Amino acid sequence: MSGTSNLLSWILWMPIIGVLGILLIPSAKEKAIRVWSLINTVITLALSLVLYMKFDTTVPGMQQAFLIKKSWISQFNIFYHLGVDGISLPMILLTSLLFSICILSSWTIKKQVKAYFALLLFLQSTVFGVFMALDFFLFYVYWEVMLIPMFFLIGVWGGENREYAAVKFFLYTFFGSVLMLVGMVALYFVSGQGVDSFNILALSGGKFSNEVVNMFGYAFPFAKLFFVALFIGFAIKVPVFPFHTWLPHAHVQAPTAISVILAGVLLKMGTYGFLRIAFPIFPEASVYFSDAIAWLGLVNVIYGAFCAMAQTDVKKLVAYSSVSHMGFVMLGLAAMTVQGMNGAVLQMFNHGTSTAMMFLLIGILYERSHHRWIVRPDGTKGFGGLYTQLPKYSIVFIIAMFASMGLPGLSGFISEALIFLGIYERFTTITVIGVIGLLIGAAYLLWMFKRMFFGDVVEECKEYTDMNAREIFYMIPLCVAVIFFGIFPAPILNIMKASVGQLVSLLAKY
Amino acid sequence: MDYTISSIAPIVLLPFAAFVINSFIARTFTKTAVALSCGAIFGSFLFAFRIFKDFVFGNYATDYYIHKVFNWFDLTGGGQSFQVNMGVYIDNMTAVMLLMVTAVATLIHVFSTFYMHHDMNYGRNGRFFTYLSLFTSAMLGLVLSDNLLSVFIFWELMGFCSYSLIGFYYEKEGAGNASMKAFMTTRVGDVFFLLGILAVWTTVGSVTFTDIYAALAAGKFDPVMVLGIPLATFAGLCIFAGTMGKSAQFPLQVWLPDAMFGPTPCSALIHAATMVAAGVYLSLRIYPILEAGHLTYFVAVIGGITAFGAATIALVQTDLKAVLAYSTISQLGYMVLGVGVGSYNAAFMHLITHAIFKACLFLSAGSVIHSLHDHHTHTHVQEMPRMGGLKNKFKFTWIAMWCCTLAIAGIPFFSGFVSKDRILGDALLMALHNKAYWIPTILGFAGAFLTAFYMCRMMFLTFHGEPRDKDVYDHAHVEHLSWNQNIPLLILSVFTLGVWFSGSLTGQGLVKVASYDGKYEWFQTLIAKPKVEKFVSYKAEEFGAADTRVKNQLPASQYDSSYGLSEEEAHHIHHVHYMGAIASIIIAFSGVFLAFLMYIRKSVNPGWWVSTFSGWYRALQNRYYFDDFYIKGLIQRGLLPLNNFLSWFDMGVYDRIAVDGWAKVTHFLMGIAKWFDNLVVDTIAVDGTGASVRFFNVLLRTLQSGKIQFYFIMIILVLTGYVLAL
Repeated sequence: MSGTSNLLSWILWMPIIGVLGILLIPSAKEKAIRVWSLINTVITLALSLVLYMKFDTTVPGMQQAFLIKKSWISQFNIFYHLGVDGISLPMILLTSLLFSICILSSWTIKKQVKAYFALLLFLQSTVFGVFMALDFFLFYVYWEVMLIPMFFLIGVWGGENREYAAVKFFLYTFFGSVLMLVGMVALYFVSGQGVDSFNILALSGGKFSNEVVNMFGYAFPFAKLFFVALFIGFAIKVPVFPFHTWLPHAHVQAPTAISVILAGVLLKMGTYGFLRIAFPIFPEASVYFSDAIAWLGLVNVIYGAFCAMAQTDVKKLVAYSSVSHMGFVMLGLAAMTVQGMNGAVLQMFNHGTSTAMMFLLIGILYERSHHRWIVRPDGTKGFGGLYTQLPKYSIVFIIAMFASMGLPGLSGFISEALIFLGIYERFTTITVIGVIGLLIGAAYLLWMFKRMFFGDVVEECKEYTDMNAREIFYMIPLCVAVIFFGIFPAPILNIMKASVGQLVSLLAKY
Repeated sequence: MDYTISSIAPIVLLPFAAFVINSFIARTFTKTAVALSCGAIFGSFLFAFRIFKDFVFGNYATDYYIHKVFNWFDLTGGGQSFQVNMGVYIDNMTAVMLLMVTAVATLIHVFSTFYMHHDMNYGRNGRFFTYLSLFTSAMLGLVLSDNLLSVFIFWELMGFCSYSLIGFYYEKEGAGNASMKAFMTTRVGDVFFLLGILAVWTTVGSVTFTDIYAALAAGKFDPVMVLGIPLATFAGLCIFAGTMGKSAQFPLQVWLPDAMFGPTPCSALIHAATMVAAGVYLSLRIYPILEAGHLTYFVAVIGGITAFGAATIALVQTDLKAVLAYSTISQLGYMVLGVGVGSYNAAFMHLITHAIFKACLFLSAGSVIHSLHDHHTHTHVQEMPRMGGLKNKFKFTWIAMWCCTLAIAGIPFFSGFVSKDRILGDALLMALHNKAYWIPTILGFAGAFLTAFYMCRMMFLTFHGEPRDKDVYDHAHVEHLSWNQNIPLLILSVFTLGVWFSGSLTGQGLVKVASYDGKYEWFQTLIAKPKVEKFVSYKAEEFGAADTRVKNQLPASQYDSSYGLSEEEAHHIHHVHYMGAIASIIIAFSGVFLAFLMYIRKSVNPGWWVSTFSGWYRALQNRYYFDDFYIKGLIQRGLLPLNNFLSWFDMGVYDRIAVDGWAKVTHFLMGIAKWFDNLVVDTIAVDGTGASVRFFNVLLRTLQSGKIQFYFIMIILVLTGYVLAL
């Protein structure tokens, strides 16, 4: 017991130790900085795996063995309160895996190496904070602080239009955070400012169903009003239509590793927010709004897919595909059935791995081509015949692409199938329309692949070199993950099913 | 005999293991990889043969089956429960199918060692075999599946393999188009299939075939409506749409002819013998749903249209492989027609006979094409106008191909006659009972005439007459027999004889040829529609658990008569079938005769037909404009403009106005504040309070630099203040 009691703190603060270490290394010693960052993230990954080993899959809810609760700001009953359950563990594993890979993929960063790696590790710590925090205030702090490294990582190391994208990302998310803050403060007062007023676990369970709030002379149901506030806050992060337009800008401008983190981990913070905060605290309102959530999710799926098909910039295409795939998660959440919810959490994990592969591969190509046009604005081919030119790259690309479109045997299929199974009974119409997303999802990816990889090698592509050992090395874990979890989803489903089942049981009461 | 996991699983796992190993070694150790693939599929064949032997020759009751399940994953927890099981289901149909798939696949693997050896450098050769292994493994997995979900999984995996194999020559632009087209067209069917699975799953609580049959028998389907349609109809339509995609039925037939971009042996395996057959196999498995949903007429019409329509297109094809491709679509149409008219076991028999003769046709075509070169462009010659007279050079292939042609044309004593004729006979039977069925029946008979004609046309143009391209002809090597090229052709063409399928394998040996009552034929006695009532009390077993059922052991040669056709039924249809058989024999021979007149005697001039019916000719050459309609119409005029509009709307309108517009609004409000402050500052300045000027300037500067964040802080303060006030 004592061996694991501080494990979460170790995982949370390990990247900060990394940041401190980097600050001690002179900025000229770039290699040392990279190696140190890599070692640091690998240690974090190892600690997360220890967490996975010690995790008891039979227990629903927070695992007592890992709970940490220490007083932080005692006047306002704010605690340093960390915990892990079956919903957060997959996210923690995903975060630690993707950050190690991102450090490796950032090996080629030349500009201000020290600051870059320090910010990246700092970002990792804040992401862990979001996934571990059980104190709403602590959650909010991590949620906000995360914006700072992201802002700089996009704004300094991004593409030509990086400042616009960074400011847009910052303001958009900040707008959502404000609404979340309002919700949090409201909860603080409604729950009586007691010792549990920021305690997410204590607030959960539908305690506010009968509260009413008087505003502008009307009595509003408290739960519904503030569910909407929280919903918008989280929806911006997912991003749910119509709050999605920051995403293509941020993705296109962000450097490769940041795109990977953004799509792989940060988007999941939004859906995680629903699972951890919005749904458990306002179960009645969640059920009340589930139709709307499902329809918004459907719009995400279809609209994102259609928009993706029109893109000529391959990174923008994958960015819109994320909009579409996160729509599946929203559908699964709206289902509020055991299949749909498990499917949604699994899809969060699977989308993390498959979309990370896509962005990493685009980054690898970008390092060779310095452009990302499938078709240039003047109508000429940006790429062609890459299959002939880059055989190894093509094979990895095929795995990533088919995982992304949900080919059976690869991870995306199981989550999408579970989600559809989950929503079918309640939302038959949405299901019937939603499967079009699967069709268009295959179409835009295959069309992109056809245009870039088949045919004669375009003149300028003839200089490209195939993936090097480092690049192959960091793609292997992801390839293994998408294939392994496509055939044996049980290990990851076993982690989540008890906690997800508990949440479904709670929602089923309303 | 008890079957355990170790005697069933290797059928799928051997080729799969070969695929996994070859993925790593194919590039460097190509010879090992090729040997591994071939060895693996032969191993599967041995395991499959054992099952076949037990089910067909063994003393099992005719309705005996093996059904073993294991848990794939389990979502039970937190007060909720949900399980997904996988399993294998083996009955007579599975056993026959397994044998056919493994045998044909083995022969195609062997042939590929010949075909791919000269064709390309070694690295590619290995890649080809890697995909072949995955493909056969997926097909075998599909055949063994006990539920719709795993059928879907393997089904899509085969879609992936066909995508990879059609796009095998990736340096060709056309290969990219063809592979994408194949994948997307079948995917249209697949998403419907998935919907069907969801509909069934939600009602039955499982998608295992036996559970579905039991639910049908118990009437669970009846009260459920989906979007205003009865469940059985909805699910049947959706799942059958999957068949339409995979088995290239009208209107989703467009992908199959393009699929010829792949190497010829893969055409034999994927686009003739096995993958397209998976669709028909599925429709046989879900036959009780189709029946319950009153969809059999729809199925029959689709089959009839496909059988006839594809045959007409095949009339004008000049590419050797294209003729075969359209003949495949047409024959698949017959199978579907068979399903529709309730000719359950003939449809399945046609699946088997077609797999064999079509594989042989493709391999023979491969042999011919392989030896014909254009020395100017360094490509293989596939165009029939440049062939002719090749029988002098390809004696062996010529004979093998004629066997298959006679089989597909439905000439008596060949396998195609036995199966196709029985489908047409059943169609006729249905038509006599129900006038609406005359439409598919007439289409079927007309297609049979065309089939005999275009297949003989193909043979005459390729092998007979004078060589039309001297250069190509002279450079073609005289066929010299080699084991890996000719043995597969030999074996396959031997099995184009009808006696293998119409005979009895029990008691009387292979003596009874084409008996119309079918009472003693092994196919008729083994394969029958699933009688759903029988499944109500049946239960699957866990892998590893002992088989507790008492096998109804019958002495050999004595099958359960209640399973196949009853005496009366057989007698009743006897007469109609007799008429049907005579009709189809006349039709087949007249097709052959017309081709003979046109291309050998040359007493009928095909050119006259072309010029007289030029509009029809153009329509046929353009495949009835289906490709144009889908690609130029639906996609280029519909989908792509819609995409571009939405994308433009998203970034150009919505993002610019609704999102960035807020920044503009904020900016504007800031301007007002500035103007107001200036006024105030001015007034104060006029009043001579000089010191305050600097103070307000500082304040102003802060305002200007803060921009939107400043307003957010304002919002927070106001809202927080309000909440505090509560």
